[in-house]
Amino acid sequence: MAIAVFFVAAAMAVLGGIGVISFHQPIRSVLSLVVVMLALSVEFLLLSAQFVFAVQIIVYAGAVMVLFLFVIALLGPARELGRGRLRFQAWLSGLFVLVLLGLMWAMLQGVQYRQPDSKADMSIFGTVQAIGAGLFTTYLYPFELTSILLLVAAIGAIYLSRKRIDDL
Amino acid sequence: MSTLNIGGSQIDTSWFLLLSAVLFILGTTGVLVRRNPLVILISIELMMNAANLALVTFSRQLQNMDGQLFALMSMTVAAAEAVVGLAILVDIFRTRDAEDVDDLSELRG
Repeated sequence: MAIAVFFVAAAMAVLGGIGVISFHQPIRSVLSLVVVMLALSVEFLLLSAQFVFAVQIIVYAGAVMVLFLFVIALLGPARELGRGRLRFQAWLSGLFVLVLLGLMWAMLQGVQYRQPDSKADMSIFGTVQAIGAGLFTTYLYPFELTSILLLVAAIGAIYLSRKRIDDL
Repeated sequence: MSTLNIGGSQIDTSWFLLLSAVLFILGTTGVLVRRNPLVILISIELMMNAANLALVTFSRQLQNMDGQLFALMSMTVAAAEAVVGLAILVDIFRTRDAEDVDDLSELRG
């Protein structure tokens, strides 16, 4: 059963990923990315990461993607112009990407997985309780830095999108 | 080889990693091939999601919560990056149409 769920979600994710890079209108790319994120959230649930699953749907598919949709709605339907120059670029990047995929495949064939050091308590693995205990004890400092990062990003976005009165 | 016991059935760890690799490759292709700056940002988001899947997979394989915490941090970074990137794009689009990243080459010197 879990195997079937894995393969259905994986197929959805890969098809959505192909859609992201092949649709010519940005809004379709964004909607394909939403499909990828929903499929990936199913994979997170299979990996018993319940909290990451919820955050993936609420924050990523919910907030970040809506932000992308807002920007596309603001900018209007921009279509990509087919340019004649640098056509070899597509072939070159296709070759590069195939080599990269081959490298990753070879790496996955030879990898030796480390086994878990100690048996974790799988009944609380991935729950809000376990995540919160990690965030507020061991990783308190990175967690606080994250809040500063978000504050800086918010200030930067406000600064960049302000009306320039002095330019008029 | 290593398998994960999920709901009574065994799934190879490398299948999850292979899915992550394929999604990352698709994102790389998008960044390299597409010309619209908005689509390039979307492809970067795709690559970040693929990296998150790898983190969560290793977290489950090692039965260690640190990978999931790191995935959450990475989501925060992705959100901040999207906000700032989109703000820059809106600022550029306000003065002109930038449908091709090659049009934005004034900093080349």
